[in-house]
Formats: sequence, C-alpha cells, structure tokens
Amino acid sequence: MADQALQDTTKPDGPALTRAEIRRRRRYENPWFNPKLFWGAGILLGIVFVGLVGRVLWDPDLVFTGAGVLRLPPLGFENLRGQAGVLNHPLGTDGAGRDMLALLIIGAPNSLYVGVLASLIGMSLGIVLGFSAGFIGGRTDDVIRVLSDVMITIPPLLILVVFQAAFGDVNLTMMALLIAAFVWQSPTRLIRAQVLSMREAGYVQMARLSGASTGHIMFREMLPNLVPYLFGSFIANVTTAIVTAVGLEVLGLGPQRIPTLGRTIYEAINSGALIQNLWWWWGLPTALLALMFIGLLLINLGLDEVSNPRLRRL
Amino acid sequence: MTVLEIKNLSIDFPIAKGVVHAVSDFTLNVPQGRRIGFIGESGSGKTTTALAAMRMLAAPGRIAEGEIHLMSLGQTNIIKLTDDEMRRVRLRKISYIPQGAMNSLNPVMRVENQIWDGIIAHEGAVSMAELRRRSKAVLESVGLADHVGRLYPHELSGGMKQRVCIAIGVCLQPDLIIADEPTSALDVITQRHVMQTLRKVQETIGAGLILIGHDMGLMAQSVDDLAVMKLGELVEFGPVRQVLEAPKHPYTRQLISSVPVVGGQSFLDNPPAAAVADTTPARTVPLLEFEGVAKTYGSNTALHTLSFKLDDGVPKIISIVGQSGSGKSTMGSLMLGFSAPSNGRVLFQGRDINRLSAAERMAFRKDVQAVFQDPYACFNPFYRVDHALAYPFKRFGLARSPAHTREEMEKACRTVGLNPALVLRRYPHQLSGGQRQRLIVARALMLSPKLLIADEPVSMVDASLRATILKNIYDLKDKQGISILYITHDLATAYHVSDYVMVLYRGHVVEAGPPKAVIGDPQHDYTRLLIDSIPWPDLDRNWGSADDARADLDRLDPVAANPIFRGAVAGFELATA
Repeated sequence: MADQALQDTTKPDGPALTRAEIRRRRRYENPWFNPKLFWGAGILLGIVFVGLVGRVLWDPDLVFTGAGVLRLPPLGFENLRGQAGVLNHPLGTDGAGRDMLALLIIGAPNSLYVGVLASLIGMSLGIVLGFSAGFIGGRTDDVIRVLSDVMITIPPLLILVVFQAAFGDVNLTMMALLIAAFVWQSPTRLIRAQVLSMREAGYVQMARLSGASTGHIMFREMLPNLVPYLFGSFIANVTTAIVTAVGLEVLGLGPQRIPTLGRTIYEAINSGALIQNLWWWWGLPTALLALMFIGLLLINLGLDEVSNPRLRRL
Repeated sequence: MTVLEIKNLSIDFPIAKGVVHAVSDFTLNVPQGRRIGFIGESGSGKTTTALAAMRMLAAPGRIAEGEIHLMSLGQTNIIKLTDDEMRRVRLRKISYIPQGAMNSLNPVMRVENQIWDGIIAHEGAVSMAELRRRSKAVLESVGLADHVGRLYPHELSGGMKQRVCIAIGVCLQPDLIIADEPTSALDVITQRHVMQTLRKVQETIGAGLILIGHDMGLMAQSVDDLAVMKLGELVEFGPVRQVLEAPKHPYTRQLISSVPVVGGQSFLDNPPAAAVADTTPARTVPLLEFEGVAKTYGSNTALHTLSFKLDDGVPKIISIVGQSGSGKSTMGSLMLGFSAPSNGRVLFQGRDINRLSAAERMAFRKDVQAVFQDPYACFNPFYRVDHALAYPFKRFGLARSPAHTREEMEKACRTVGLNPALVLRRYPHQLSGGQRQRLIVARALMLSPKLLIADEPVSMVDASLRATILKNIYDLKDKQGISILYITHDLATAYHVSDYVMVLYRGHVVEAGPPKAVIGDPQHDYTRLLIDSIPWPDLDRNWGSADDARADLDRLDPVAANPIFRGAVAGFELATA
C-alpha cells in the first residue's frame, strides 16, 4: 500500500537524524544487522574463545583428580571448614580436588561441540529427507512422513539411556551421533512443509518452464529462500541436542573420562554438594549452561526477525 | 443529512527512509442513504482512508492531521475518542465489510453465533429467543435461508460467505457501511448477486455506503457519487454520471478508457481481422492437439472429454473463458505438461507431451512457454530479475556469450516498452506488478516459442496497465508469429484480442466460435448470463436486481452441456465427446 508513494518520502530537510535513529534505520533495511543476533553470537563465540585461549593460558592438566586441595571455594569466599579461596584455583576446586576453572575451560566447548555436531548431522538428514518428501511426494513422502511422525512420539532420553547403558563408555562424537538420530525429525517436517508450499510457487513453475532440472529447482531456486528457516532450525536443534546431552550426563551416562559440564553437575549431585553448601561446584557449570542457552535463544530470536519481516520494528 | 464528514485528513506511514504520505488533505462528506465509490489503483490510499474512519489503521500508520465527524455522535471528533468509546462506535455506527470477507469468518463458529457476537458486544445480555429472531431477520435480508445460520463457514459458497459478512455488517443497522472490494474474489455472476444484495440492504436500513474498488464498471452500476483517488489525493469527486460522462482529471479519463467494452472501440491498433475462409491447405501435423482429453480429480471431473487441433500455419489467439472452477486453468496445466490427462492424449507437433525423451522434452519446453496470473510470485525473491530472463535463455542454448544474453534482454525489454536501465539488475520487490508481468512477456519473447499459454495474465495487474500488457501479448502473435492460448474470465478482452473463443462451464465447452458471434451475440444461456453479469461503465444499462441475479443463478444449475458451435476459423478444429 505504501510502496507507491515511496519516492516522495521526506526527511533530508527535516531535523537531522540522531545516531540511534540511523542505527535503527539500518537495522530495518538489513535484518542481519540485528542486536539480538549480535549478542547471541557474541556470547557463544565468547565461550568458544575462552575454551581455546584458556587451554594456553591456564593449565588443562588441572582437570585431573587431586590437582589441588579438595573443596576449596572461589577466591574471596570461605567454605564450611573455614578455608579461604586461593589464587591457584580462582574458581575453587571440586570434591576430588579438580580445578573448577580448568573444568569449565575444557567442559563448556565439549558440551557445545556435542550440540553443534549432533545438530549438523540432524539438519543434513532433515534437508535431504525434507526435500525428498516434499518434492518427490508419493510413496517416498508417505514413508518419510510416517517415520518422522513415529520418531517424534518416542521420548529420546528413554532410548538413549538404554543405548548408553549398553555401550558403556562412549566418546563425545559417538554421543553426538546418537543424539543426531533424534533431532532430524523436526527439520524434516519443517522443510517438507516449506517445500510443499514452494513447489506451487510461480517461480518454481517458471523454472520448470525454463527446462530446469530437479536438482536446480531444489538447490538453486528453493534452498536459498529457506536459508533463514534452516539457520533457525539449526540453532533450535543445537539447544535440544545440548539439553539431551546434559540430561544424559547428569544421569551419569555421558563420557566417563572426558570432562563435560553435565558430568561435573552429576558428580556434584552424587557427592552431596547441594547439602554441603558447595555451591560453586554445581552452580558454576549450571550458570555457564544457562548463559549458553541465553546465547542460543538470542540468536534464534534474531533469526526470527530475519525470516519474518513483520517482527521488525522501526 | 450528512452521516460522515472527513475534513482535511492526512495519514502518514513512517518507514525506514522517512515518511510516506498515504493520504493527504482529504475532504469528503457522506450523506445519509447515499452510495459513494472510492476508486483508484492499489496504493492510492482508498482503503487507508476508510480504515481511518474506523480507527483501524495498521501500525505504523497514523493520522497526521484532520478531523473525522460522525453525525450521530454530535460534534465529537472520532480521532479524539478513547479506545473503549471507539469500540462502541464500530459496527453500531460504522460497519466494515473487509476485502476477501470469505476468509474473515471464524471457521470454528456457526454463522449465527458470529452474528450474535456483535449484538451481545454492543447490547449486553440479550435473550436467546431475541438473538435467534434477529439473526434470522438479518440473514433473510441478505437473501439467505434460516438454516444457513446453523452452518459453519466451510459449508457455504464464496458468495454466501460474502453475504453472511454483509449480514454481520448490517445487523445493528449502522449509519454507515464501508465495503472494501467486497466482490474482488468472486466471479462476475456471483459478484452481481452480492452487489445487488448489498445495495438492497443498504437501501432498507437507509445507511450511507462507501464502496471501495478499482473496477470502473462495477462503480458505474453500484454507486451514486464517485471519488477518484490517486497517490493519496482526491483528484475528482462528483455524481457518477458526471464523472463518467465528463471526466475532468486526466487520471479519471485514463481509468475509464482502460475498461474494455464488448463491441466498443478496440484498444488494439490492429485488431484481428474477421475469420478468413480457409485457403491454405491444412498441414498434416497440427501444432497442438487434444485427443479426447479429460481430466478428473478423484470423483470430480475438472474437464470433460474434449478434442481440438490447432494448426501451426497462421498464428492465432484462442481464448478460453469461464468462471473460476470451470476447468480453464486445468486445460492450461495439461497443455504445459504440468499434469497428465486422465484420458486421451495431449500432442505437441504430433508427439505425446507426457512421453517425451529428455532431449524432446527440452525442445518442447522451449517451444511452449507461459505467462501466469501472479506476476508477484513469478520471480524468485532471492535473485535479481535478470535471472528469470537469462537462465532459460542459457539453458536452451540460445546464448552465445554473456554480452549477447544481455543485449537480447535489453532488446526484449524495449520491445515490451520497458526501459532496461530501470528494470534490469533489480530485485523483484523493487518493481511494480505491471513491470514484472511485462518482464515475463519479455522473457517469452526472448525464447521465441511456438506457443504461449497466457493464464489470466492481467487479472492481478492494475486496470490502467491491463490494456498495455494485452497489447504486448497481442504483438507476440502479430509481430513474432507466436500462437497464443489466452485463458481468462474477462470476456471483454477476449472479445478484442482473440480469433476464436471457447466458453467453459463446469468442464464442458458450452459455446465456441469467433468472438464476434459468441460474445457479441451469445446463444447459450450460460454465455448470456456471463455477459449480462459483467458490470459495464454504462449508466443506462440495467444490471438487474438482487432477485434477478438470484433467479439467474438458480436457472443455471440444470444447464446441460449442449455445446453450441458458432462457426469455425481456419486452422482450428474443435470437437466434444
């Protein structure tokens, strides 16, 4: 409605724009320039950065049992025995004398790694299956749809508990693969629905008239328009995968020899950290996980604004 | 007595680049019982003005200046009312019948409950018996039977849903009814019925009516006064007869002249000559042939058995006309090979198009191109518009070098009357619907196909551009020698451009022949009804009352498929059964 009169917009002669206004305008024009996206990505990159730099600046060997005095509080606090925090272990130590800072530096990227890997695999499966179901249709569609519907009804944690118990000790990649088996369904359904509606779109019909191959239509005409959805779905999947991974670890079913945030929480609970007021032991990994989820949530909200212009405000 | 008074109204939409003045300095009075038409192209601010009177402007739009007075409220300015006071004004004083009202009904509520909603919201607790009585009365006033109230929206036809919306709009007997393109989604026959119903109800309750639309013909048949809007300004206002017969503003003249009329002056420079006797010997292999083709979807028959042969000698425009659901678009998709016929074969140059080898398919795609209805959907929003033109050109091996492609693109743009510097290298959303549709015509031109399927190519384009785009398409036949199948519901344009017309009704061909015979002097009941229902911008023509329209609709049901053939043209043979 307003498009037609766009040419005769006023402003240049009006009062000069404040810097905040200019920024708002730019954001409106280019949705990727978005504070939510910016902060979310910042938080996650920050965690990865701390994980990388920390390995150089801090001694990663401190994650092993008995690296320090048991149950030391963070710097500036006292534990129930009256011991004060020391500079050698600024975030305190756990019940086995492992340094908390080293645990976080090694553990947080590990949790993120599992989430991202599982989500990547799940998304790739979802793209292939979703496109096949939506574009080819017929029997293929029936099989994929029923399969993903059935998989959605199965609670993943239940199956994973059985799997993990059967496998015994697993490494991070193995765990990511197992979780990936449970995060492909929702991208599949999402992409299938989008492809179904896009298949009838004028430009797809035009491409068919232009003698385009199926591959060209799927990946050159349709896929680019799905990018914001794919990103959003990917981030949502990372969240789900991390929640699942941490859930398993807190149950004590994660990797036994690799420090992860979930495993640290598991040990804290098991050693009665909650009633002994060893808050730093369970509290710090929980806070870091919360920060991670906030970062992911912000990215997701930002991507929503990219894919849905109606959410954008001037 | 004046019902609504709008004084110096200006409406602004702040956007990223500044402020769009959607409406500026608009002044208008609506007298009681009078029908006022707002006409103008999309973006002219007609809906925005009406919504402002309802105080229902979409964010971020706001009223910058001006006053709106509703006389029954004394001298109160509507703009100054609180939200709750405004809530009580809506529906009771001013009611709004939205565009595409068929989608504005709640799908999970019975029709009568939706009527009661409004009554209860304004009058508080009303006894059940009273509610029943009133919903029955109001449904009766729009010509719907009592039992319709117990139905859900999905059980009603489009025209019935629209009449339910009118019923809701008038159930509290408002002073003013605003109808925003109430018939834009309906076919002409239903449109006539709904419009006449709306007029009748409005006359009964004596309310003022604002009818928003872009169809000059519909306005001529429905309103008393006409307000012509362009880019947010009122350019002309006066009694409809005066505006139509002696338009003052050039824009009004343009709007009037853009309505094609059957039998009137042609908008083409060189209209098709009358069918000449067959002198050239018929070729052995026709360009396009339907061999006993029928298409069914489940138990629904979209297209009954039909055969025709289109010669590839002299290029021709064959029009296929009919209402929505008549099977005309099904025919289009069969010809393009997008769907396979349930029976029979579709042959292009003697080959079954659903059994082609990869190489043959490629050649078929190059030779048969299309222009679709929706120019907004035809471009991939991810790419610049060049992609749509250049990709097929390269794909079909016509491009010799990037420079050659570019040159051809620019040439095609100029041929359809576009300045290449202004349209190429742009993203689709930066172009208007008319520009996009012309680019699609330019695309077809670059590929120089043998056959072009034009499926409602101008129904979504502003009226003033329709003639130009049809001229472009007509030139494809005239200058480039491309045969065209023109699928449309618009008989007036079909009358002017085509060499042969087929009228489709529920999958049957009911009348066929040269346009001068079929449309100029219809013989079949359905064709006649279709033509009678078109609103012409002719004030002295009687469009009939709501009862007439209803009687016509009822009469149509038992129409059997006894096709009437009205003479043939060389190079085209048609047969049914």
